[in-house]
Amino acid sequence: MKDLYLVFKNLTRKKMRLFLTLFATFIAFTIFGTLTAFQKAFDSGVDLAADDRLIVVNKINFTQVLPISYVNRIAAVDDVEALTHLNWFGGYYQDPRNQMGMFAVDAENFLDVYPELLVTDEERESWFGNRQGLIAGESIAKRFGWEKGDRIPVNSNIFSKRDGSTSWDFDVVAIYQGEEEQTDTSSVYFHYEYFNETQSFGGDFVGFIGLRTSDPSRNEAVITEIDDMFANSPAETETVPEKAFNKAFLEQIGNLSLILTSVVFAAFFVILVIVGNSMMLSIRERTAEIGVMKTLGFTSTRIFRMVLSESLLLALLGGVLGLLASRLLVVLVNEAPIQLPTLVVDGRVWTDALLFMIGLGFVTGIVPAVNALRLNIITALSRG
Amino acid sequence: MRGSSSQIATVVSMNLRSLPQRLWMSLAAVFAVSVVVAVLLAFLAMAQGFEKTLAGTGSDAVAIVTRTGSQSELNSVLSRDTVNSIATAPGIARDANGDPVYSAELYVIVDGIKRSSRTEANIPMRGISMAGLELREQVDIVEGRAFEPGRNEIVVGQGVQREFDGFRLGREIRFGKTTWEVVGVFSTGGSAFESELWADAATVQTQFQRGSSFQTMRLQLEAPGEVAPIQEFIDSDPRLNLDVQTEADFFAAQGRALSGIAIFGWAISIIMGLGALAGALNTMYTSVASRAREIATLRAIGFGNTSAFIGTLAESTVLSIVGGIVGAGAAFLFFDGLSTSTLGASFTQVVFTFELTPELFRNGILLALAIGLIGGLFPAWRAARVPVVMAFSGGE
Repeated sequence: MKDLYLVFKNLTRKKMRLFLTLFATFIAFTIFGTLTAFQKAFDSGVDLAADDRLIVVNKINFTQVLPISYVNRIAAVDDVEALTHLNWFGGYYQDPRNQMGMFAVDAENFLDVYPELLVTDEERESWFGNRQGLIAGESIAKRFGWEKGDRIPVNSNIFSKRDGSTSWDFDVVAIYQGEEEQTDTSSVYFHYEYFNETQSFGGDFVGFIGLRTSDPSRNEAVITEIDDMFANSPAETETVPEKAFNKAFLEQIGNLSLILTSVVFAAFFVILVIVGNSMMLSIRERTAEIGVMKTLGFTSTRIFRMVLSESLLLALLGGVLGLLASRLLVVLVNEAPIQLPTLVVDGRVWTDALLFMIGLGFVTGIVPAVNALRLNIITALSRG
Repeated sequence: MRGSSSQIATVVSMNLRSLPQRLWMSLAAVFAVSVVVAVLLAFLAMAQGFEKTLAGTGSDAVAIVTRTGSQSELNSVLSRDTVNSIATAPGIARDANGDPVYSAELYVIVDGIKRSSRTEANIPMRGISMAGLELREQVDIVEGRAFEPGRNEIVVGQGVQREFDGFRLGREIRFGKTTWEVVGVFSTGGSAFESELWADAATVQTQFQRGSSFQTMRLQLEAPGEVAPIQEFIDSDPRLNLDVQTEADFFAAQGRALSGIAIFGWAISIIMGLGALAGALNTMYTSVASRAREIATLRAIGFGNTSAFIGTLAESTVLSIVGGIVGAGAAFLFFDGLSTSTLGASFTQVVFTFELTPELFRNGILLALAIGLIGGLFPAWRAARVPVVMAFSGGE
């Protein structure tokens, strides 16, 4: 324990250098914490996708529609437990830039297929009973200041009503919450009947179908049966697990993970060089001192340990502060009225970060520590 | 005055020549700055490339008509009646026979396999007519030939060929139940149209069950930029619920979609820059400490403290500018011309290349310079105040 005191004294001997090195580490871990939170948020659609949920889309592309008659035919397939259909509505609130994920759904079955969207039984009943009712997620309700019971006008950038107007009226019957912290609550769902009866294009078509199988192990069989059923028809289908669908969608935006990971990596590399250098310098300055300590009977391994603890302590101190800062930053981003998935700095981020801190401390400390270990007393004293 | 400027020159050159003595420390500072600059330029080049691709897509001499509020070509729908009605509007250029020059187009999305991720991604397929090809300047069939009306033939943009698999000349492609043949490859000088597949409009209507409807209409304007007569025509007919704007304006708005990336890039690199600043300060304080005796000696023989100040500042600035140049060079080497694609406003892939313009280069160097100046200022201040007595004391 006396050693720890010495380590601490060594660390704080040059206040300015300590501050600068800590600051550099702090910055690196602030970036790490924040960007990792972003990355996890983008990936949450893939990570949280239910294994037993499949998506049926038009084989040409998911923006092409399917005939509504497919719904009953697919519902009759073995091992399909629950099924709903969704139509992208292209809805926006007040300003065309306020685009939202808004879907016309088969309400009665919808909540069975997507049980992670939580509403009370009472809200569920009132939605089923109100043709113009919609349920909105917590985050989108917050963004537009909607509350349960509000009557709101929503426009569509695709559909117009039979009377020529593009404005639909809705009752907000429930604000749903997500089962998990990162469950997406930025979407809005309303009755397919209301949509189909009022939109002007005519139709009886659905955008895509979401279904649950009795067990993920049955997925392959269900996929084959559905796609074979519609092979060579005017609207062929492509059935994919929800996870794969969400992943492909993310890939469309581009390789976000690669971009974010490279930035984190670059930041770490910079900090590694800066901290490593200053660590090396501070040990070199202490050459004579280490010679004296060895003369006094400090063993080489003990000095090795002390130097390494010094760099570890430095990395941990700066890193933990940086991660705390990123938590704060994430809270600010979550509060901001912009459309982003919920960012979370969770236990996984912390454990990863701690590993990185230890790694950083080790890498920056190992060379000076080995130098100190090997240092010959006579050269050490003569060099001073 | 002359004396002091020659003093400064002497000290600056002494500082710079002694850099190799502090090699590792100096290299660390250079390296830190270069990474920060490279990261900044990568993001800026991405945003710039995207914006430039879309800005280059729209022509000022062409107007685009969409359904009000549709925001993108994908969401718009125009009936055959609407198209016919708009064709009679004033302000549209006429050809030799006195017919209005316009192109009614369809915009459907099909799947392609993206090379980079091996996953399906949205490619726009445009139903177009020969008039539409002529309307667009810069269209150049670089391989094969144009599609023939009435046949399931497509011509493929060069961007699609670059980023997606399976669109080689002569290949047969299936979309649902229909089969199409790739008969040509076209270039539009790097604009977003190169991210598209083009086929005959009437054929697309039949094969995709679109009846007689279209999605957008492009009009050759009598006078470039003059959409007012068409706008008045639309306003005067209550049945027409349409937007008209020049194609240049239409795409410029979409090009700003990635401006968030540029802001993100600045935010990240400024934060990283603070880290690099800490590194620069560290380096410079060490440099001043190791030169303390030298500085004091110079003072003792009559050099002013301004020269010590400027000398330190110059050292730090030179290091950071070298870092900036290295970083910008690396960014140029790795990112300039890099082809990639992302999801654009019409929910389809826009293929674009990173572009490092001289202006972005300048931004990178300015950031490096800022780090160098701030990183040198405080240590320079300390250098200016090294007591003369240091010259006579032993050791540090």
